[in-house]
Amino acid sequence: MKPNQAFAGRQVSVWRRYGLVVIACLLVTLLTAPFRDTLQLANAVMLFLLVVFLVALKLGRGPAVFAAFLSVALFDFFLVPPHFTFAVSDGVYLITFAVMLAVGLLTTGLTTSLQDETERVRRHERETREHYELARTLTGAASIEQVEAAVASYAAHQQCRVRCFWLTPERQLDTSHSELVESHLLQMAFSSQQPVRGDAEAGPPPLYLPLRAPMGMRGVLAIYPEHMDGQDFLQREPRFITLASLLAIAVERLHYVDVARQTEIAISAEKLRSSLLAALSHDLRTPLTSLLGMADALAARPLPEAEREAARLIRDQAGAVHKMMTNLLDMARLQAGKLPLRREWQLYEEVISTSLQLLRPTLAAHPLTLELAPDLPLVRFDAVLIERVLCNLLENAAKYAPAGSPIRIRAYTEGDAACLAVCDAGPGIDPAQLERLFALFERGDAESGKPGMGLGLGIAKAIAEAHGGSLTLSATPGAGTTACLRLPLGTPPSMVTEDEHEPG
Amino acid sequence: MSQAELRILLIEDEPHIRRFVRSTLEAQQWTVYEADCGQRGLVEAGSRQPDLLIVDLGLPDMDGVALIRDFRHWSQAPVLVLSARSDEADKIAALDAGADDYLTKPFGVGELLARVRALSRRHARQLEASPLLSFGEVSVDLARREVRRGGVEVALTPMEYKLLCALLRDAGKALTHRMLMQAVWGPGHTDDSHYLRIYMSRLRQKLEQDPAQPVHFITLSGVGYRFQF
Repeated sequence: MKPNQAFAGRQVSVWRRYGLVVIACLLVTLLTAPFRDTLQLANAVMLFLLVVFLVALKLGRGPAVFAAFLSVALFDFFLVPPHFTFAVSDGVYLITFAVMLAVGLLTTGLTTSLQDETERVRRHERETREHYELARTLTGAASIEQVEAAVASYAAHQQCRVRCFWLTPERQLDTSHSELVESHLLQMAFSSQQPVRGDAEAGPPPLYLPLRAPMGMRGVLAIYPEHMDGQDFLQREPRFITLASLLAIAVERLHYVDVARQTEIAISAEKLRSSLLAALSHDLRTPLTSLLGMADALAARPLPEAEREAARLIRDQAGAVHKMMTNLLDMARLQAGKLPLRREWQLYEEVISTSLQLLRPTLAAHPLTLELAPDLPLVRFDAVLIERVLCNLLENAAKYAPAGSPIRIRAYTEGDAACLAVCDAGPGIDPAQLERLFALFERGDAESGKPGMGLGLGIAKAIAEAHGGSLTLSATPGAGTTACLRLPLGTPPSMVTEDEHEPG
Repeated sequence: MSQAELRILLIEDEPHIRRFVRSTLEAQQWTVYEADCGQRGLVEAGSRQPDLLIVDLGLPDMDGVALIRDFRHWSQAPVLVLSARSDEADKIAALDAGADDYLTKPFGVGELLARVRALSRRHARQLEASPLLSFGEVSVDLARREVRRGGVEVALTPMEYKLLCALLRDAGKALTHRMLMQAVWGPGHTDDSHYLRIYMSRLRQKLEQDPAQPVHFITLSGVGYRFQF
């Protein structure tokens, strides 16, 4: 620690300080010399020591030591008889010199170390205050830009320039704005989570500090010293480490503020969407229920045939509208990714039987064949949604295959998938058209294309994919279409067989 | 209670739905009382003592499930729930609260009448309770623990027989997976519903004419099962 640091700031040059010492000592000599015969020499010694003390207080250690020696020399030369020579008449004066020098040096030592200590405490206090100010600014910062500005202004006080390197969305360090060598050093600091020192042609090397926050790495802070020597820079390293940890915490706080805000937005958007869907679904279903019910009741009455037929038509059309509405609402839910899956281990045969039951009138015109492989395993799926898939596939088959042509339902395993296939003997769709049918819904563009068929298939596909499975269509023009749902097999839960337990 | 003189209370807030349900039921010479909200429904139920209750789950003033629970405190009359298609959880809650069956909106006249008849028959059957039951070509003698199909004895494992009995006991009623698991396997197994599915499949294999298109052991997707004669 340099004792004259306080003065360094005031630009008092070394020469000037030593000059001042010389002047002060000469002044004392001049003041005391005329009275050297009347004045007790001990008093003169006091004056000299006072000068040494003042010099030590004001000008620092070097000048004070110099003043001590100079004082002894001047005292000897001008005041101690014989005058104007360094020769000493009385040996006692040698003791005086020694004591004078010792007291001077001791005073110097005590004074300057006291000053050093004061200076150290003051600096420490200033540092703490700066850190406190920085922490306060960082806590109040509402954006990364404000954080960067606060850090830059702190660093400027430390005669440094800083650059912050943050993370990419993939949680990697973004070094795209740095040179090759530097980017390497940044990565090193990032992956080792340890400070890394760079190399520099002139002056002290830059320092790369990892920004490690409680929940993980947030980036790297690069510190470039300016107008500073290496020793000084090294001494300041602890504050830079403090700076880095404050910065990391501030950035993490901002990150979580952001996450919280995003979540809040997502939640309120989701609430709005689901309440909208629920309201829509209720408001559409209610009139449809009365419409369908009343038409059905009308059709059961003893009316002229033409009117009965009209009532039946209204009923069937209301049913068709309801089906379409269900599909649309499901599609909206699926696209929002918010259709909860109630997956349970179950058998395909149950879905087949419930679908056939639901579609009995629709499928009446087609002979059905069921091919269930023996010992089909349990598959994990949402029964209601997979029933929707199968119903959509069966409805398509019934719609596009001519009346009277057979529809085949097959359930089997193939590799690690449980397959459920619906084959019709219709005209078969053109393969190019098939692709278009699916693509329509992957883009979420439901405005073009064949409405009835596409929507049902789009939903079926979306449901299959939500289960981690797939839906494929294959067609042989002229020989029918096969739609195949594949769900992953997984490991069904174990079953304790009854025979081991309680023999029947 | 015979089907000829059924007294039904309909609790539904939508006037159009109420009107068509009422006219459908009245065409069968049944008496229909109406209520347009839950509170009035409970009052009517208390004063009219209906043979059957039809409740919409989406009432404006109170939760339909709470209404059913309340009603069950003092009446054993069958309860038929009207519910929206996508609300399997609501249906299960209603069944757990004591409802007997449900109808998914929109529904036709035929479905409505079939459910009402089945529930009123079920209620009547509970009153007579005979140890000899039969459905399709299957006959069950509960007293001798004997199941015959077309006159030939069918071997059922104890668990299969237990499940069959649970289904027969509540024939015509929609039973959730949890209810059946609890009845057959006990309270510790209510989450292992795959057991139930496997055993149901075996019962169908043994007792249904066409196991893939069952007429007696009916699956209620996402809800449970219903046995019907």
